[in-house]
Amino acid sequence: MKDLFMVVKLVVREKRDILLSILFGFLAGITAVGLFGASGYLVSKAALIPPLYTLILVVSFVKLLGFIRAISRYIERYVSHRATFTILSHLRVSFYEKLEPLAPRIFQKYRSGDLLARIVGDVESLQNFFLRVFYPPIVLLIVFLFTIIFTTFYSLSIALVLLGGLIITALMVPLLFAMRQRKIEGQVREVRGVLSTETTELLYGFRDLKIYRKLAEKENQLKGSSDYYIREQEKVGIHASLSQAMNSLASLVASWVVLSLGAYLVAEGQLKGIFLAMLVMISLTVFENVTPMAVFPIHLEDSRRAANRLFSVVHTNSEATQSNQASIQLQEQQGLAIDMHEVSFTFPDEVRSTLKNVSLHLPAGSKTAIVGPSGSGKSTLLQLLLKIQMEYTGKVEVGGTSLDSLDQESLWGHTNVVLQENHFFFGTIRENLMLAGDDLMDRQLEEALEKVKLHHIHLTDSVLEKGENLSGGEKQRLAIARALLRSKSLWVLDEPTSSVDALTETTIYQHLFEAAESDTLIVVSHRLTGLEHMDKIVVMEHGETVEEGTFNELMDKRGYFYQMKQIEKSVFM
Amino acid sequence: MKHLSKIAFGQKNLIALLVVSSVLIGMMILGQAYFFVDIIERIYLQEEPFEGVFLLLAGLLLVIIGRALLTHVNGWAGVKIASEAKRDLRDSLLAKYSRNPIQASLQGQSGQKVSVLMDAVDEVDPYFSSYIPQIIQSAIVPVMILVIVFTQHLYSGLIIVVTAPFIPFFMAIIGMKTKDKSEEQMDKLAAFSGQFLDTLQGLTTLKLFGQSSHQKQKIRKSSIDFREATMEVLKIAFVSSFMMELISMLSIGLIALEIAIQLVVYENISFFTAFFILILAPEFFSGLKDLASAFHTGRGSAGAAEKVQGELDEPEVSVCWGNQELYNEGRPPHIELENLSFSYGQDSFALHHISTIIPSYGQIAIVGRSGSGKTTLLHLLAGLMNPQEGAIIVNGQPLSDYKEQDWFDQLSYISQQPYLFSGSIAENIAIGGKDNPSRMNIDKAARKAGLANLIDSLESGLDTPVGEAGRGLSGGEQQRVAIARAFLKQPAVILFDEPTTGLDLQTERIMQQSIKELARTSTVITVAHRLHTIKQADQILFLDDGELAGQGTHGDLIESISEYRQMVSVQQGSDTK
Repeated sequence: MKDLFMVVKLVVREKRDILLSILFGFLAGITAVGLFGASGYLVSKAALIPPLYTLILVVSFVKLLGFIRAISRYIERYVSHRATFTILSHLRVSFYEKLEPLAPRIFQKYRSGDLLARIVGDVESLQNFFLRVFYPPIVLLIVFLFTIIFTTFYSLSIALVLLGGLIITALMVPLLFAMRQRKIEGQVREVRGVLSTETTELLYGFRDLKIYRKLAEKENQLKGSSDYYIREQEKVGIHASLSQAMNSLASLVASWVVLSLGAYLVAEGQLKGIFLAMLVMISLTVFENVTPMAVFPIHLEDSRRAANRLFSVVHTNSEATQSNQASIQLQEQQGLAIDMHEVSFTFPDEVRSTLKNVSLHLPAGSKTAIVGPSGSGKSTLLQLLLKIQMEYTGKVEVGGTSLDSLDQESLWGHTNVVLQENHFFFGTIRENLMLAGDDLMDRQLEEALEKVKLHHIHLTDSVLEKGENLSGGEKQRLAIARALLRSKSLWVLDEPTSSVDALTETTIYQHLFEAAESDTLIVVSHRLTGLEHMDKIVVMEHGETVEEGTFNELMDKRGYFYQMKQIEKSVFM
Repeated sequence: MKHLSKIAFGQKNLIALLVVSSVLIGMMILGQAYFFVDIIERIYLQEEPFEGVFLLLAGLLLVIIGRALLTHVNGWAGVKIASEAKRDLRDSLLAKYSRNPIQASLQGQSGQKVSVLMDAVDEVDPYFSSYIPQIIQSAIVPVMILVIVFTQHLYSGLIIVVTAPFIPFFMAIIGMKTKDKSEEQMDKLAAFSGQFLDTLQGLTTLKLFGQSSHQKQKIRKSSIDFREATMEVLKIAFVSSFMMELISMLSIGLIALEIAIQLVVYENISFFTAFFILILAPEFFSGLKDLASAFHTGRGSAGAAEKVQGELDEPEVSVCWGNQELYNEGRPPHIELENLSFSYGQDSFALHHISTIIPSYGQIAIVGRSGSGKTTLLHLLAGLMNPQEGAIIVNGQPLSDYKEQDWFDQLSYISQQPYLFSGSIAENIAIGGKDNPSRMNIDKAARKAGLANLIDSLESGLDTPVGEAGRGLSGGEQQRVAIARAFLKQPAVILFDEPTTGLDLQTERIMQQSIKELARTSTVITVAHRLHTIKQADQILFLDDGELAGQGTHGDLIESISEYRQMVSVQQGSDTK
C-alpha cells in the first residue's frame, strides 16, 4: 500500500483534471438519476391527466437532462484520459529518476532482461489506477450523497435504505470477494510461472529432449501444467463472475426494498403515491453506478501489485546506494595505475566464488590483456574495477586511491569502456556516437568510423532499439568508435572484437594503441592473437590468476598460456 | 476471428446453455419490469393495501434472484468455453512445437514461441469469456424487449425501430474513420513503450558516458507528445459513444413524450402500459450498448488469435518414422548417405546431393566454413529433420523405416551448448541413460567425464540443482555433463559438434580423451574445428556452400582440393602473424 501511495502522490499532481473528471463524472451520474426520476414522476403525473403544458415542461426537462448527461460523460472521458496519460508520463519520469542512480549495478542483480520489460508493462498497467481505482469511487460517493439528500425530502427511511444499499454493494460485497480473489490469483501466478519455465525448457532443450526421448514425457508434463493453469484461471473467472452477479443482486434487492418500503409507506399514507414510481426509478438508476465497484477490487489489486513490483526494484537496492558514500574525485592525469590485492568475489545466490585472491599490479600507462577460458572470471574482474560490482573482499586501488572511496561517476568520467554488450539507442548513428561528447564535429565522427572500418555506415543511418538492425561485429566496432571519440585516460575493454574478423581486428587494435599511447589499457580477450605487444598478459582460470607475463615469457614457459595457444592454433574457423 | 467463432460454436452444449439462459434473462428483465410496474400501479392508482401486493413483491424478489443467478450462469458458461478453447489452442501449439520446432529454435525464435504459447493464448480468453456470451445475450434480449413493446404499444415500438438503427449507422461511420487511425495509434503505443524500454536497457551505457540526466527530459517530452497524439484519436472514439448515448436519450425522450400525450390527450393507453414501456425502453438501449462494448473486447482478442493461428498455419516439416526394429548387432550400424538434399525453403540455405558411406566405427569429420551446412548435415544424420531428397540408409534400410525410439536409443548428440534441464546434476546426467540408471553408474559416468572436482566441491554433490538453462555451471562444465550423458548411455553413434573456443584446458583434455574412449565402441561423426581432430579422422567430409566439395583423409584433401588447402593454410597463416 505504501507503494500505491507513491503513485497517488504522482496522481494528485494533476489537480485540475482530477477535479474536472470528478465534476463531470458527477454531473453525468446525477443527471441520469434525475432523468429517470423525472420520467417516473412524469408517468405518474400523466396518469392523473394534468394540463398538457406541465407535461411538456417535464418532458423538456427530461430531454435536457439527457443531453447534459451525454455531454458530461464525453467531457469526463476526455479529461480523465488526458489526466491518465499525464500521470503515466510522471510515473515514467519518476521511476527513471529512482532507477538511474542504481544502474548499472541493478542490472547485474536481475540478470534476466525481462525485468525491464515487466517494468514497462507495470507502468502501462497503472493507467487503470486513475481511470478505475482513484476517482470513480469519489464520483460514486458524491452522486449517492446528493441522491440520498434529495430522497430525504420525500422519505427519510427510503434515504436510509439507499445508504445501506450503498454500503453493502460498494463496500461489503467487493471487500468480501476481493479477499478470496487475492488468494486464488496468487495461485494462478505461481502456476503460470511453472508453465512458462517448462515451455522455455521444451523449446530451448528440444534437441536434447528429442534425442534422449524425453520429449513425449515433457509434452505430457506441459499439457498437465497447462491444464492446471487453465483450471486455476477458471476459478478466478468464475469467482469474478460470481462477484459481479452478487453485486447486481445486491443492488436490485436494494431497489426491491425501496419499492416494498415505499409501497408500505404509501399504503399507510405516509408518502404520496405519485412519488413512488420516481423513487423506485431513482433507486434503480443510482445503483447502476455501483456496477463498476464489482471489478474495483481487481483493478485495485492489479495496481497495487504493479506499484509494488515497480518500487520494490528500486527499494531493495537502496542499501547499495547508501553504501555509496564514496566521494573522492579522480584527478586528471595521464595514466592511472591499478593495484589489486587478494581480491575475492562471490555473486549473491551463488556458492562458488567467481574471483579468488586475485592480486595484480598494472603500472600507469601499461597495456594488459586478460585471457582465459569462458567462466574464468575475466569480465567480473573488469566489473569490480568499474565499480559495477562492489561487494568484494581485498583491496583495489586506482591511481593510488582506494576504489571504495572513489566516486563512481568520476571513475567512469575517466574511463573509455567497451563492454561485451553495448547498447545502441533508437535514433541515428550520429546520436549514438554523440554520447561520447556533445561538441563533437561530424568530421571527427566520420574519422572514428573510418578507424573501425565502418565506411559503409553513414552518420544519418537510423538505429533501431538495442541496435537491432546492426550486426554483432558492427555494434562492437561502433562501441570502439565511441570509446575512441571519448579518449579518456583509462581503457577498459571486454572482448571488444570477438565478432570482428582477424584482419579488421588488427587494424582496430593499431588505432586503439595509438589513441591509448600514454594511457592505461586493460583488455579482456578471448583470442590469443595480437598479444605480442602487450606489456603483460594475465591468464585466469576458475577465478584465479594462473600465469602472468609478456607474450614471449609465457610462450617460453610452456605453461597454461602456451597450451591454450597450441589449441587455438589447431582450431579451425 | 472466424476461426475463433468456430471454436466457440463448436462447443454446442455450452452455447445452448448460453442461449437458454439468455432467453431466461430476457424473461427475468421483462418480469422484473412487469412486477415493478404492477406493484406501483396497485399501490398508487388502485390504492390497494400493502397486503395486496405481498405476493407480487415475493414474485419480484424471485425474479431478481433469478436474474442474478442466470447472469452468473452466463458468466460461468463463458469461462468454461474459454477454458476449453485455450486448452485446445495450447495443446495444438504444443503438439506442433514438439513435432518439429528445431528449425524455429535454430532461427532463434524460441522466445517468441514461448510468448505465443503463454500470452497470446491468454489474450484470446476475453473473446470467449465476454464477447461470445455478450453477443448471444445482446442478440436475444433486445429482440424480446422489442417484441413485448410492440405487443403493448405500437407507436413506441415504431419509435424504437426507427431510432435504433441510427446507432450502428453512426458507429459504423465513426468506426470507419477511427479504425485505421486507432490501429496506427496502437502501433505507436507499442513503439513508444519500446523506446522507454530501450532507454532503460541502455542505462548502463548512458551512465558510463555520463549522459543519463539528459534522458529524463526526453522521457517527459516524448510521453507528453504521445499523450497529445493519443487524445486526438480518443476524442473521435468518445464522440462515437457520445452519439450513441445521445440517440438513445432522444429515443427514450420521444417515447416519453409520445406516451405522455397518449395518456393525457387521447387517454387511450393505461398507466400500466405507459410505465412498463418507459422502463423497458432503456433496457433495450443498454442491451445495444453492451453489444458495442462486446465488439470492442472481441477486437482486442483478434490480434492475439491471429498470432496463434499464424503459428499453427506455419508449414511444418515433420520427421517420419517407421515400424522396423533396429537391432543392435554388437557393432555400430553401417550408414550410407544417398544423394541427400535439404533446404530451409526457397532462396534460403540448402544442402545439395550429399552421398557418402559411414562404416561401423568410422571416425568422420565434417569440415567447412561457417554457413557451409555442417550443422544441418548433423541434424539430418541425427534424424531431427527429414531430407527433402535422397535418404540416409542405415544397415541397408532408410532411416525413416525404423522406429524412432530404436534410433535414438543408439544415439548421443553432444552440441556446443548442451541444454541442462532444471533439476539436479544427477538427473541431468541420468537423462542420457536407458531406464533408471543406478546412482553408482551416474557417479561413474560423471567422474569419467571429469566432473569429480566439481561434484566434490559442491555441498550437495550430484544432487546440486542446476537452474533453468543450466545457470551456475561454466561452459566447460556443461560440456562435461553432456559427455557424462554419453558415457552413461554407451551409444553406437555419437554426433559431436566440437566447441570452437572458450573451453578451459582441463575440459579440452577431457573432451579429447573421452571422445577417444567413446570411439572404441561407436561411430563418431564430428563437426570438427580442431586440426588434430581432423587429422585423426578416417574420413573428412569437406562442405562448401552446401555441396560436398571433397572427401577423404586430411592428406588426400590437402593434395586434391585447393579450397581445402586454402582454408587450412589461411588458418595456419593468420596465426603466425
